[in-house]
Amino acid sequence: MTEAKTARELNLASCHTCTKLVPADQHRCPRCGSSVHLRATDSLQRTIALLITASILYIPANLYPIMYTDQLGRTEASTIIGGVVLLIKLGSVPIAAIIFIASVMVPLGKLIAMFYLVFTVERHSPLEPRQRTVMYQITEFIGKWSMVDVFVVAILVALVNLGGLLVIRPGIAALSFAGVVIVTMIAAESFDSRLIWDEMENKNDNRPA
Amino acid sequence: MEHTIACHGCDLLVDLRDMEHGHKACCPRCGHSLTQYRHDAIERLMAFSIAALVALVFASLFPFLSFASSGVESVMTLPQTPGSLWRNGLPAVAVLVAAFIIFIPALVLVLLLMLSVPLARGRYRPWLKPIGRWIFHLQSWSMVEVFIIGVIVSLVKIAKMATVTLGLSFWAYVAFALLFTFAMSVLDRYQLWNAIEAAEGARG
Repeated sequence: MTEAKTARELNLASCHTCTKLVPADQHRCPRCGSSVHLRATDSLQRTIALLITASILYIPANLYPIMYTDQLGRTEASTIIGGVVLLIKLGSVPIAAIIFIASVMVPLGKLIAMFYLVFTVERHSPLEPRQRTVMYQITEFIGKWSMVDVFVVAILVALVNLGGLLVIRPGIAALSFAGVVIVTMIAAESFDSRLIWDEMENKNDNRPA
Repeated sequence: MEHTIACHGCDLLVDLRDMEHGHKACCPRCGHSLTQYRHDAIERLMAFSIAALVALVFASLFPFLSFASSGVESVMTLPQTPGSLWRNGLPAVAVLVAAFIIFIPALVLVLLLMLSVPLARGRYRPWLKPIGRWIFHLQSWSMVEVFIIGVIVSLVKIAKMATVTLGLSFWAYVAFALLFTFAMSVLDRYQLWNAIEAAEGARG
């Protein structure tokens, strides 16, 4: 990487839609017609606003029941964590692990990772840009897997409907949880990972070995 | 600048000349994958899209899962999955689920056909550019593979309560998810837009 340059150093903006390099003073891509920016507009402010929204939604998502089971006139409400505990009791530890990872660890981990990334960029931290980029890519990739729990509720509600014998109904936490997943996905999309690397170029023009 | 791409992960400029069939380019600085060149990418997109759409039609028509306990049986189809959420007072979640597992993937496949059929014959059409823009926005909101895991988790949750049978549509949806994933693995911004540009240029 002796003479490696970034697009910004040559005053070029990369079109996010079609990857064409466009002079940074143009605002529309001549090839595909999308709007072009050197860096995503207000990336950090938008990301942090969405992260706060998701964190707030995460509270009702865990406090309220995600589904109800009506069995012979008896109603049982279960939360996300309650579902994990039930699966362990039933002896399905691997599935309990999938749900625990997808519904508890992934959304929480995503929120923490994104807050950390925004914080380090805001502080102009030169720390390990490559590791932080990998962290961002993982966060972006796993985002939609948290929808598993919402899909499970959708399937069980549609499938288990035996009149007075056994019925499963959805709970309001399904809505808040779907909200958490979607808002964190938009937050990850609005974060511009190139900001992590910009700092390195600003600090020292001769690249580290 | 014709064969240069700026890494979307870190903005480094990378020269992409001399890529051969099957070659994949990654950013040397941050590791972000940039593009993969296949000389038959357009034909593959067309083939996978047609096959995936056929599988989705089958997945919507037949029983997906059935559930029997104490002589009572209930059968579920794919469209009923969002349908019963709607009837149970969660219309917003119903719309989201229907979009993520049926409508967005189906729309992506139809748009892919509208792109790949003219491009395979080297023709330019006025809708190529708008579709080329929309398709990458829509693509990240398809959750077919996540739904398959959802089905497996549901099966384990209720396997002890009653007898659960997998229907024809379940297998059709698995085929659909696989074909859809194959189609998405061929879809590549840099290569697709080069093809659109070439078709536009050839128009004269």
